[in-house]
Amino acid sequence: MIRFIVKRVVLIIPILIGLTVIMFVISRMLPGDPVGLAAGPNATAAEIAAYAREFGLDRPLWVQYWDYATGLLRGDFGVSIFTRREVAQDLATYLPATLELVFAALALAIVLGIPAGLLAAVYRNRWPDYLSSVSAIAAISMPRFFLGLLLQLFFAMWLMWLPLGGRFPIIWEPPTGITGFYTIDALLTGDFEGFAMACRHLALPAIAMSLSPLATIMRMMRASTLEVMQQDYVTTARALGLSQRLIIFKYVARNAISATLTVIGLYFGWMLGGTVLVETVFDWPGLGLYATQAIVAQDFMPVVSVAFVIGLLFVTANIVIDVLYGVINPKVRYE
Amino acid sequence: MTNIDITTLSRRSFMALSGAGLAAATFPQEIFAQSRGNILIIASGQDIPNFDPHTATGYSASFFLRNTYDPLVRVAGNPPEAVPALAQSWEASADGLTYTFALNPAAVFHDGTPVTAADVVFSYQRALRLARGNSWMIRGIVDPEGITAVDDHTVRFDLASPFAAFLQVIPWIFIVSKAQAEANAGADDSAAWLQANVAGSGPFTVRRAEAGALYHLQRAETAWQAGGGNLDGVIWQIVRETSTQRLMLQRGEVHMALDMTSEDMDSLADAAGVVRVIEPEYRTFSIKMNTAHGAMADINMRKAVAYAMNYQGMLDASGYADLMVGPLPTGILGHNPDMEVYRTDLDRAREHLAMTATPQGGITLRMAHVNGLEQQRRWALILLDSLQALNITLEIMPMNWPDMVAACQSPETFPDFFPVYQTANYGDPDNIAYAAYHSSRNGGWQNAVYNNPEADRLIETGRTETDPAQRIAIYGQLQDLLISDCPDIFGVLEKRKIGLRDSVQNYGFTPVAANAVEAWPLSL
Repeated sequence: MIRFIVKRVVLIIPILIGLTVIMFVISRMLPGDPVGLAAGPNATAAEIAAYAREFGLDRPLWVQYWDYATGLLRGDFGVSIFTRREVAQDLATYLPATLELVFAALALAIVLGIPAGLLAAVYRNRWPDYLSSVSAIAAISMPRFFLGLLLQLFFAMWLMWLPLGGRFPIIWEPPTGITGFYTIDALLTGDFEGFAMACRHLALPAIAMSLSPLATIMRMMRASTLEVMQQDYVTTARALGLSQRLIIFKYVARNAISATLTVIGLYFGWMLGGTVLVETVFDWPGLGLYATQAIVAQDFMPVVSVAFVIGLLFVTANIVIDVLYGVINPKVRYE
Repeated sequence: MTNIDITTLSRRSFMALSGAGLAAATFPQEIFAQSRGNILIIASGQDIPNFDPHTATGYSASFFLRNTYDPLVRVAGNPPEAVPALAQSWEASADGLTYTFALNPAAVFHDGTPVTAADVVFSYQRALRLARGNSWMIRGIVDPEGITAVDDHTVRFDLASPFAAFLQVIPWIFIVSKAQAEANAGADDSAAWLQANVAGSGPFTVRRAEAGALYHLQRAETAWQAGGGNLDGVIWQIVRETSTQRLMLQRGEVHMALDMTSEDMDSLADAAGVVRVIEPEYRTFSIKMNTAHGAMADINMRKAVAYAMNYQGMLDASGYADLMVGPLPTGILGHNPDMEVYRTDLDRAREHLAMTATPQGGITLRMAHVNGLEQQRRWALILLDSLQALNITLEIMPMNWPDMVAACQSPETFPDFFPVYQTANYGDPDNIAYAAYHSSRNGGWQNAVYNNPEADRLIETGRTETDPAQRIAIYGQLQDLLISDCPDIFGVLEKRKIGLRDSVQNYGFTPVAANAVEAWPLSL
């Protein structure tokens, strides 16, 4: 297992080098004049040239890449040509917000999706199955930003239960930045009122983010469970008189969950890069919005760095999933 | 390997999570109510990534700087006028070349040190040295050597040439503490330090800055400005969706929503506790034509298009707006509301088309617009529809803004039609005239290609003439010339749309930088 993990970690290196090279080259080959734009509408040609010089954009591309790549090793992600802020500083601000949202949404999707899929399979062609199928189709079909607006209208405007947006009440000081996750930081500092506040702000965006993966996980779990239930060992277990509950939870679910884990790993990456609409609707100051603004403005360093960070998290998540296969199913072992 | 009992874990997890969810959902509402005090909350879609008064741009930065720093004079009222800020009085020489400002001796920076003439000299010289942010407003108007500290509380500006709008531009050059800036100069003229720190004398200081989320300003203990409202603080809350801004305003979660659309304003018409501000301002929208290359270089083709345009359709698609009457915004000094301008007239359009190289039309023209800006797309579609009457096809090209800026670099890459919003940074006709029609701007997006030496001469004369009557005459000639040259389809003046809670008092609209709200006069 250790050897497997080390091998996978080593493989990350060429993946990330390839990713940064591709992103670096593409971001600079796109048509457009981001430097002229950043210098402002009233900048003269000489001032634009000076601006490019200041950020080292007048040097050969490979020199720029080498500087960037060696900077990455020191944790230096470069500087935004628009805001002039350190990209590492921006990532430290926005990444925890997005991760908190993604983890919460994924947790919701897993906690609800896996039991619902199991239930649908056990009660195949009965009302729990039909209900879950219809719900899954509805959840997958509905655009997330629209769902977000509906949630806002219902829970924030009509019922007044939950806030419209943001991560925390703006008048209050947010929990101390230990991890950057407000929920966890509040708990770590014993601020339970703050924890409740953070949860309330997290609830609607997490629900909006979770529905699509929830539906997929539910459908995948249902299909896997049905397949496992056809296996001989399940028939044998039934013939031996084991209770239905024991068979389902101990033998069927455990084997059925492996395929679902793959989907969860893939969804993690997809959600990291796909939070922008939900972040916009709920004013969640996260990485998706930051990346989108940078892409529209062709702000080189944030674009490449966000791709790098998402890529890193994505491959890491998939290694974790691979390891989990073995934890959940002892039959799966890595050499 | 340890066996995991999924049955037990799932049930416990499920119960624990259910309990937590239920508890969270049933917390009493009062826990979440915000105790605000006199804190004004403003919803806006724009972040404030840079605090440096001499490099930051954008209306959010203007809001920040207007409240944490002081300029020599402020701009207020409608029409906008210069009123005292750090300078309690000033004098201009008869030839318009020298301005002398007497500083208010009560003025102090947030660290308690007095604001002196040396700070003013340092700030203006730094702005000119860095050549970013708002420094373009004084570039070529005053040289670094032309700014002199006469004594601790008197500063004199010897201009390179007379500039009629001088008092209109200096509200955007803010004064930093020389001592603090020099103590943190680093290798970049304090740029890195001032980007994240404030060394000003404004009525507010920064209490909390959360990038991408909010900026909380609190009343400075050293606030020296006389009068003003009762605010303890101001929060600039970043709310990107205009519909969310509207909902927050309706719920009373914010006091001001700055980015309202016409549809939002209609929705707020009967909202309890909400006041709608819908005011004309000096922000023009025009469709620039390529006067230097291709079919639109022919003045008759430009006039044919200008007469074919469906102006009523354009106005209808603009929500709360007025049609422009010529190139300058209505209400600004020198604007002539009685000018004969282009309005839809297909007969005259065909007359001019007949004088072109393609009298039967049959050509394809190209219009770029900013990808995602629905309003520009609507106007492009109206132009497409209008040109069909001339048998001209329009190819609409949605582009990202950096690509559009790049397209402005030469007449060959500039499209036939290019929509431009021109925001007035100061309330003087020179602002729009110089940026939009002076040939020194060729290659930039504000005026990529139009070049007429006579227009340049009038613009330069208009900015150096100090007699208002003479200026009105000069800008009258300029408007006639531009209408005759027809470099643009003169479009609409969209009205500024701001939503306010009725608890906000002392709010006064100014048609310059209306969304960069000055908070200190306000009360709750």
